[in-house]
Amino acid sequence: MSRQLGDSHRRFLQNMMTLGITNEQEAKALYQNCCETHKTQCAPDKLDEFIDAINSRLQPMFMQIRKGMSEENGHQYYALVNMAETDITRMTSDYADNELELFRKAMDLIVSSENGKVSSTDILNCTDTMTSKSLKKSETQHLLTRLVQEKWLCERRGEYTLSTRCIIEMEPYIRAMYQDQVKVCHICHNIAFQCQICENPLCGIKIHNPCVARYFKGRTDPHCPACDDFWPHEIPEVRGLRSQSKR
Amino acid sequence: GKEKASQLISEGSAFDSTVFAEHLLSFMGLNRLEDEDDEPPNGGAGDGYLPKDAWHRLARRAECCFRTAPSFHYMMGSFYAEPPPPKQRLE
Amino acid sequence: TSQVQKGLEKLSPAQVDQKTAEVVQYILVKDQKKVPIRRADLVKNIVKDYRTVYPEIIKRASRIFEQVFGLKLVEIDPKNHLYILVNNLDTPPSNPSPVEHPSNPKTGLLFVILGVIFMKGGVVRDKLVWNILKKLRVDSGLKHDEFGDVRKLVTDEFVRQRYLEYNRVAHTEPVEYEFRWGQRADMEVSKAKILEFMAELHDQDPRSWTQQYKEANPTHTSSQASSSSHR
Ligand SMILES: [Zn+2]
Ligand SMILES: [Zn+2]
Repeated sequence: MSRQLGDSHRRFLQNMMTLGITNEQEAKALYQNCCETHKTQCAPDKLDEFIDAINSRLQPMFMQIRKGMSEENGHQYYALVNMAETDITRMTSDYADNELELFRKAMDLIVSSENGKVSSTDILNCTDTMTSKSLKKSETQHLLTRLVQEKWLCERRGEYTLSTRCIIEMEPYIRAMYQDQVKVCHICHNIAFQCQICENPLCGIKIHNPCVARYFKGRTDPHCPACDDFWPHEIPEVRGLRSQSKR
Repeated sequence: GKEKASQLISEGSAFDSTVFAEHLLSFMGLNRLEDEDDEPPNGGAGDGYLPKDAWHRLARRAECCFRTAPSFHYMMGSFYAEPPPPKQRLE
Repeated sequence: TSQVQKGLEKLSPAQVDQKTAEVVQYILVKDQKKVPIRRADLVKNIVKDYRTVYPEIIKRASRIFEQVFGLKLVEIDPKNHLYILVNNLDTPPSNPSPVEHPSNPKTGLLFVILGVIFMKGGVVRDKLVWNILKKLRVDSGLKHDEFGDVRKLVTDEFVRQRYLEYNRVAHTEPVEYEFRWGQRADMEVSKAKILEFMAELHDQDPRSWTQQYKEANPTHTSSQASSSSHR
């Protein structure tokens, strides 16, 4: 059912349009700020209901504020996403056709990689096989910088990963397009790029790094939740903020 | 001359774009070159350099003068959905 | 309107809703570049067979922009039928957004140019603009780190977006050009707030610029409602 929105909802949505993605803490602060600005009631634990009201009105335009986890730190994020693929959505002007082709090639490489990463060298090499107008090296580098700035890719030491914003928006697409390559986390059931894999060849389940941290927290003798074999990987620390943002 | 002066008064202060530019440079955080104290400033705005975020600084303050609609950006749906080329993996 | 009524009777409510949603999507996508949307393009690309009910669809789309997004769909050029989106929510300076968002340096550049035009009575020669920008380390003949080809940005992009009007001055030899506010600037930019910032920069009372102050703060008896009078 679609609900009546107030200016606080509209302001929140406008902020989401500007930001693209925001973490849970920021979203809560924003929610409170929007309510204060328009003198409406704000229940701190009602953020998701507040967003649901907005989503009910965005649905006809195939837009949504969608929640998802960062593979990096395990925190919850909210992203404003597009859900349709039509002649209209393809009129977007943010990236040229050849830039989008290169982005797709980078995504192919990331999805098919073992560790969910691709080096800038491998991306630069892709330009040889492009069907649209090929990009020069300097153009590719400029494009990669833009894709990081606009929060579609993350970069660390010359290696690129899909950003949280990209994963949240593209998850249905990635599941549909890369059916046999895509990894799914055994704990949270979302797609996984940065993850640990059970070494039992008959098992081989995947778990996100932050999900590993949370699942094995405080266990001295970690075992695979599926096959019960010893879990040989290093268990990462649960990153702060989590417990803090809970209250 | 006299006519123009009285006209000016009735119109209030005159706006001097050179003065405006000077104020903007200060607002944007111009680093005036210190080691050129002995040199007389030629035209005023010639010396010094602006910090990297100068225009962002100005934009941030000027934003409230604009009622610009935020725009919607997305990646999903901006290109044709195409499955990746089949991979031949040798293992 | 009776023709619209007749057209609506032939369509199911779901069909009209869907067409309206498509129009909203199209306008949102086109607004990414901030270039006004031509009604002719909207009809040709989206409305198509629904053109008899166009007035109803555009009315509903406007309602969605207002009710869902807090935006206003405005027709800026009734002759050429151009639409832009402007923000319908007031910016409360006392309560800024707690989440920092990236700023757009072009807003700074626009402030400088629109500000000078306004302070100089509504029209300035292009030379004056280039001179000021040069003082601000933006040389219209060189590639700028932040703005790239500045001349193109100012005389092409800002003009197409309708922030600026850039016209040849009649009877000048050699040829000279002048800048004015474009129709988007008229809708989107608050003269009162420009003047306020000017006053702050000059450490001067905004009322000391008598003419500009009058223009930015029209009296309530004035029949012309100004979008810039909100405070
Ligand atoms: Zn997981
Ligand atoms: Zn296992």
